[in-house]
Amino acid sequence: MVVYSFYIFDRHAECIYKRRWLPRPTSISGKASRPTSEIPSSSNGVPPVFGQSDRTTDDDAKLIFGTVFSLRNMVRKLGGEDDSFVSYNTSQYKLHYYETPTNIKFVMLTDVKSPSMRVALQQIYINLFVEYGVLDSYPR
Amino acid sequence: MSQHPRHSAMLSISTSNSNLANAGADKQQPSQNVSTPTQSSSPGLRVPSNRKTIYDRHLNRSRTAELSRASFAFLFSEMVTYAQRRVTGIQDLEKRLNEQGYPLGLRLLDLLFYRTMSSSTSSSLSSSSTSSSPPNRPLRILPLLHLIHGPLWRLLFQRSADALEHSVSPETPNEYMITDNDPLVNTYISVPREMSMLNCAAFVAGIIEGVCDGCGFEAKVSAHNQPTEMWPGRTVFLLRFGDSVMEREKVLERAGVR
Amino acid sequence: MSTNDYLVLAGTFHGVHAITRTITPRIPVPSPPSSTSTTSYAFPNPGIPATGLEYLETEKFRLTCFQTLTGTKFLLFTDPLTTNIDVVMRKVYELYADYVMKNPFYQLEMPVRCEAFDRHLGGWLRGRT
Repeated sequence: MVVYSFYIFDRHAECIYKRRWLPRPTSISGKASRPTSEIPSSSNGVPPVFGQSDRTTDDDAKLIFGTVFSLRNMVRKLGGEDDSFVSYNTSQYKLHYYETPTNIKFVMLTDVKSPSMRVALQQIYINLFVEYGVLDSYPR
Repeated sequence: MSQHPRHSAMLSISTSNSNLANAGADKQQPSQNVSTPTQSSSPGLRVPSNRKTIYDRHLNRSRTAELSRASFAFLFSEMVTYAQRRVTGIQDLEKRLNEQGYPLGLRLLDLLFYRTMSSSTSSSLSSSSTSSSPPNRPLRILPLLHLIHGPLWRLLFQRSADALEHSVSPETPNEYMITDNDPLVNTYISVPREMSMLNCAAFVAGIIEGVCDGCGFEAKVSAHNQPTEMWPGRTVFLLRFGDSVMEREKVLERAGVR
Repeated sequence: MSTNDYLVLAGTFHGVHAITRTITPRIPVPSPPSSTSTTSYAFPNPGIPATGLEYLETEKFRLTCFQTLTGTKFLLFTDPLTTNIDVVMRKVYELYADYVMKNPFYQLEMPVRCEAFDRHLGGWLRGRT
């Protein structure tokens, strides 16, 4: 199983934690100002994904929040107020979602074959986030 | 003969052997011989290696040929869409479909007789309940109806129609009904609710009308929906023969012509 | 839910679907030393084009999204334990191609109101259960 990235969003839609295990691209020409910018090369046969050429990790976090927020509302509308979405798959990755009773959202991107991470996210919340985040004079 | 891409596609369809119903293949064939069309190298037209197109073939060759039901469905769908342009109402639309089918019926009649004659030894088409082979042009109404119910339906849809009835009402002795439980032309068609009176088998009604007229029976044919639980697409073709036909019928009956 | 609610949901889903494709993680491929200044990327599953959301699981249902080559999306809502969803999806697509696309009264891009489609879909699903 491969984990690509992990995000925590608080109830004000702020991304309060992000961690990526993807190596960031390093610009060889030395323009260090925007390390994520790159020209999508289609020479290797993989079509470039639109709009990803100059996106930063901040933008990524915002897009992911928008996605999970929309999906969460959609699922509540379709499945009832007490339903919540667990994960979704595309051909390339799988996104796991866990929302705490205090509206804090945990999001993890893994490879498609990974099993459900619901318990893992719950454990991260209980054992790590509460222990070391909230109890360690958590700023909010 | 310049090849419009669409027409050439149709030709290549009628030469292909995919599946079902030879109806369309027959429609593409004029009843008399046509001089060899100019060969063009447009991409859609598939010319056989011996440079002979469908027009050079013997008329009986495509008798058992098959045509893709999907290509027919798309073609018919376009015909309905075409007929729908600038029509004033449902009756107008049905009239247009009827007019599209009418010339087909006239031509089909010749093809039907030609094939029935040439294959009267083999029983495939001449098994009309009336016919003593070789078949003749029907003179009375009943043989005509059997011709439509059996051989014509088999030529078009590869099966007989499902029922043939005479009007029970004494006021309308000139009305006959042919029933098709699931008309091929309507297979994929869902008529919107606000047009529920419409039946696109008006096209087939036009074919029947052409066949009747071709035989010298003046008639008006219309298609009507009569859905049942089992057959939601059940269609009744109502044939109304003209007064002259009914008068002649009486004369012929007295004369003992069958 | 009203027709309007469905339209709103469809709009939302459309956007989300596009975004889920955009946020596909990409892995840098070590580029040969000759090429300067550009870094190539590969998707986690190279060889497969990146798609948007394909299926979504919730506590109560499972949503499968199938996108045709022409961009039409079919959303199938099933019980989380239902199996053989792709068989169902393929049959729905087949019926759609037959009874919707071959219907002269269906206008492209408009809501599907084809009685024959409803009838055959219902009949087929009843036959499966």
